[in-house]
Amino acid sequence: MNRRSFLKAGAGAAAMAALGTRRELVQKVLGKTATRGKVLVLGFDGLDPRLTQTWMSEGKLPTFRALAARGGFSRLGTSTPPQSPVAWSNFITGMNPGGHGIFDFMHRDPKTYYPVFSASATDEAVKTVRLGKYVLPVKGGKVRNLRKGRDFWQILEDHDIPATIFKIPSNYPPVPTKQRTLAGMGTPDLVGSYGIFNYYTTEPLELNQDVGGGRIHMAYVIGNRVDAKLPGPVNTFLEDRPEAEIDFRVYLDPSEPVAKIALPDQELILKEKEWSRWARVRFPLMPTQNVTGLVRFYLKEIRPAFKLYVSPVNLDPADPALPISTPESYAAELEKRFGPFYTKGLPADTSALDNDVLDEGEFLAQDDQVLEESRAMLEYELKRFDSGLLFYYISSTDQRQHMFWRLLDEKHPMYDPALAAVYGGTIERIYRETDDILAQALAAIDKDTTVIVLSDHGFNPFYRCFNLNAWLKAEGYHVFANPFKKEERGLGFPSTDWSRTRAYGLGLNSLYLNQRGREAEGIVAPGAEAEALAREIAAKLEAYRDPQTGEQVILRAAVARDVYSGPCVADAPDIILGFSRGYRISNSSPLGQVNREIMETNNEKWSGDHMTAAEVTPGIVLTDRSIRAEAPALYDLTATILQSFGIERPADMVGKPIF
Amino acid sequence: MGVLNVILEAVFDVLFAPFRSLGPWPGMIFISLATGILMLLIFKKTSNQEGIKRAKNQIKARLLEIRLFKNDTSGAFRAQGAMLGANFRYMGHALRPMLVMFIPVLFVLAQLNLRYGAAALQPGDQALVKVILAEGVSADESAASLQAPAGLVIETPPLRIEEEGEVDWRIRAGSPGLHRLTLTVGGETVEKLVAVGEEMPAKVSPLRSRKFFDLVLYPGEKPLPKGSPVSKIKIDFASRNLPLFGGSVNWLIAFFVLSLVFGFGLKGVFKVEI
Repeated sequence: MNRRSFLKAGAGAAAMAALGTRRELVQKVLGKTATRGKVLVLGFDGLDPRLTQTWMSEGKLPTFRALAARGGFSRLGTSTPPQSPVAWSNFITGMNPGGHGIFDFMHRDPKTYYPVFSASATDEAVKTVRLGKYVLPVKGGKVRNLRKGRDFWQILEDHDIPATIFKIPSNYPPVPTKQRTLAGMGTPDLVGSYGIFNYYTTEPLELNQDVGGGRIHMAYVIGNRVDAKLPGPVNTFLEDRPEAEIDFRVYLDPSEPVAKIALPDQELILKEKEWSRWARVRFPLMPTQNVTGLVRFYLKEIRPAFKLYVSPVNLDPADPALPISTPESYAAELEKRFGPFYTKGLPADTSALDNDVLDEGEFLAQDDQVLEESRAMLEYELKRFDSGLLFYYISSTDQRQHMFWRLLDEKHPMYDPALAAVYGGTIERIYRETDDILAQALAAIDKDTTVIVLSDHGFNPFYRCFNLNAWLKAEGYHVFANPFKKEERGLGFPSTDWSRTRAYGLGLNSLYLNQRGREAEGIVAPGAEAEALAREIAAKLEAYRDPQTGEQVILRAAVARDVYSGPCVADAPDIILGFSRGYRISNSSPLGQVNREIMETNNEKWSGDHMTAAEVTPGIVLTDRSIRAEAPALYDLTATILQSFGIERPADMVGKPIF
Repeated sequence: MGVLNVILEAVFDVLFAPFRSLGPWPGMIFISLATGILMLLIFKKTSNQEGIKRAKNQIKARLLEIRLFKNDTSGAFRAQGAMLGANFRYMGHALRPMLVMFIPVLFVLAQLNLRYGAAALQPGDQALVKVILAEGVSADESAASLQAPAGLVIETPPLRIEEEGEVDWRIRAGSPGLHRLTLTVGGETVEKLVAVGEEMPAKVSPLRSRKFFDLVLYPGEKPLPKGSPVSKIKIDFASRNLPLFGGSVNWLIAFFVLSLVFGFGLKGVFKVEI
C-alpha cells in the first residue's frame, strides 16, 4: 500500500466512522449498492461467427452450444470500420464513432499530415524549471483518453452499481471512476509505444532487418560473456532527452546450454529455449528519480549464435509510471496477489513472430503466459463477484487469428503444410479455450446473473494488400512534387505536393480530403465541392477491381456523414473504406507512404484480419436469455446492460436493448 | 563466532517459542520490548546519569534564557553557544552507552534478520543458488555438483563463471520443509539449508560462509569448514516485510520504532535519564 492509498483508506474509514453503521450510507461511500441481479460480460476479441458456429455444430464448443440452446446466439453488428478500438468504443459508450470520436487505430494531425494515436494523447509539462542539465516539470504533463461520451460503468456508478472492468480495450488511460478498472488494449509499454521488443544477436544477417515493433542489437560474446544495454524511456528530466538505459551482462557456461542474466538488481539463470520469470528493471532518470518496468527474457540460442529476446518493457503494476487502473491501487492489488503481470495492451508479441525473432511455438508460449495470467485473475474476480457487473476481456483470440490464419487456410499465400501440420489447429484450440473459460465462469455464477459473451468483430483471411495512396496517385487525386525525380517513398508523404493533392490515406480504413481551412495546405473547398469529391472517390473505390483476381477490393466506401451521427462527425475521415473478404490495406499506406504498386500479395505471417466492410466481419453475441432484436449490434449491448439494472439509457446512446 | 551464533540462536529460539504460532507481530513486539528494556538498563548502568541530567537542565535553562532575553541579541547568541556546549556534553555522555549497546543490538538485529529478513520459498518458486569458490579454485575445473533432496528440484546444469570464481544453479521449491542442498566441490561436500513454505518468523538463512562479518550478520548455519574450496553459498530468497493494515512495513523499521517506543515509555519505570 503506497502512501496515497493508505491516506485514501484512512479517509474512507474515517468517513465510515463518521456516518455510523447505517448500511445504505456505508454502501454509498464505497459506491457499492448490492444488486440482486448481476451481469457477467465476457469479451473475446475477434471471435468469428462462422468459425464459432462451425465448431459449435461439430461439438467442439459444448459450453457455447449449451448456452445458445437455453438462451440466444446471434451475429453481432460491429462498428464501421470493424477495428477493435472503434468497436469496443461503440460498446463502451453505446454510440457510433460520430458520438465517441474514435474512428481508426490512427488519426491524423491535419496541420502536419502525420499519423497520431487515436485513443490517447500525452501532454508535455507546460512549465519546467532548469537545474543544471536537468529539466524539472512544474506544471502540466498528463496523458489523456481521447474517447468522448460516458462509459457504461460510469453510468452504473451514477446509480451506485459496482462494476469491475478488466482490460477492456480503448480505456487507456482509464477514465475517472470509482469502479475497479484495469486498462487494456491501447496501454503503452514503458517506452510509450504499443510495444518495442529488444533482440540481441550475434547473427549479422538479422541485424539488417527493418523491424517494426522491435530493435535488433549486435551482441558480442567475449570470454563467455555478453555486455548489453536495455533501452528504456526517453529521459525527459535531461535537456537533450537521451534514452534511459540499463546495463546488463549475460554469462554463458563454457559448454552447457545455460546462461545467467545479471541485471543491476537481480540475476536470472536460463537454459536455452527458456523464458524467464518477470524481471523488474529500474531505469535511472536523475538522482532520486527512477522508473520501473517489467520484462521477460527468452534465451533463444546460446551456440553457435547467441540470441536473446527481451519483451517490451511493461509498466509495473506495483508502481506504474503511467495510470493503468482505477482506483490506482487496483493494479497494485492484483500484483500483490498474482505477482507481476502483462500490462501492455495486446501483450503477445506479433511483431516478433512476424519478423522471425520468435517462431510459432515461442509466440504461443508467450501468449499462453498472457492467458494463464488472465485466467487466474478471472477466477479471483469471479470469486468476489457478488454484485453489479463484471466485464472480462481476452485478447488471445484476436492475436492468434491474426497470426495463424495462414495455417488454417490452404488458399493463403503464406500457407505452409509443414507448419500447418503442427500449428494448423491453433485457432481451433483458442476457441476451445474460450469455451473452457465460459464453462469456468458459468460454474462460478448464480442463477441471478445474466451472462453475455461477445466479440467486437469477426475475422477473415488477408490475402491481398491495397495501397490506398498508390491508387489515389494513379487516379490523380494525390500528386508528387516532381514526377520525374526518383520518388521518395518514405512515411509521412515526403514527396507530396499538397498544393495539387486532393486526397490522402492515413490509418487503416481512413481517407481524408485535403480540405481548405482544415488541412494545413488544403485545396478542396468545404461544402459542395468536398461532398462531390468524396462521393466521386467513394464510387471509384467501390468500382476498383483487383487486376489479379478480378474481385471487388473495396466493398463499401462510406462517406462519413452517411454512417455516423453525433457531435464528433466533423472529426471523422471523409471516407471509411470497408474491404471485401480477403482484402486489407497494405502495411505502409496507413502511415502515409505512397507505394509503387496498388495491389500486392500479403506475404506476412499477419494473415487474418478484419478491416472489412462491417457486414463481412460481424462479431458474436451469446447469452443465457433469448435475443429479441433482429440485428443486434455492439452499441445495443450497452443499452442492454443498463436495462438489466433498470437504468434508462441516455439520450445520446443510439443502441437499444436486445432482450 | 560459530559457537556464539549457536548459543544466540538457541536463546532466541526459546524467546520466540511462545509466539511461533501467533504470526510475526507478537514475537517482534516481545523482542522489541525486551530490547527496549535491555537498552534502558545498559544505558542506566553505563552512562553518567547525573551528567546527562545536568546537561539536559542546562539546555532547558538556555532555551528559557533565549525566550526571556530575546531583545538582547548578544545575550541570545551567548545562550545559544552555551546551549550548543551543553548539547555536546549531552552527546558525550550518551556516547559510551551507545558504544556498549552497539554489540548486543547488532546480535539482536542479526537474529531478527534471520527470522524476518527473507521470505522462505513457496512451492513452485524458483531461486538462484550462487556458490563462490575459494581463491585459487577454478570454476571450470572444480567439477562442482549439486544434489537436492526430495523437496527441491535442480532445474539447470551448473553455470560456471571462471572470471568470478562462481558456479550457479537454479532450483525450484517442491514441498514445504527445511531442506538440505548438498554441494560437492573438489571431492569435498558442504550443505546449505533451504527453507520452503515456512511462515514468519521461521528461520531463513540466505548465506553460508566462513568470513567473520558474514557470520555476524548471517547466523543460522554453521560456518563453512576451514580450508573448504567453497567461500560462500548464497540463495536469493526474496526479502519480506511485516504485514500492517493491508500494507507492509520493513521489519527493521518496525523493530526500531517499537523498541524506541518501549524504551521511552518505560524510562520512568526504570528511572533512567535519557
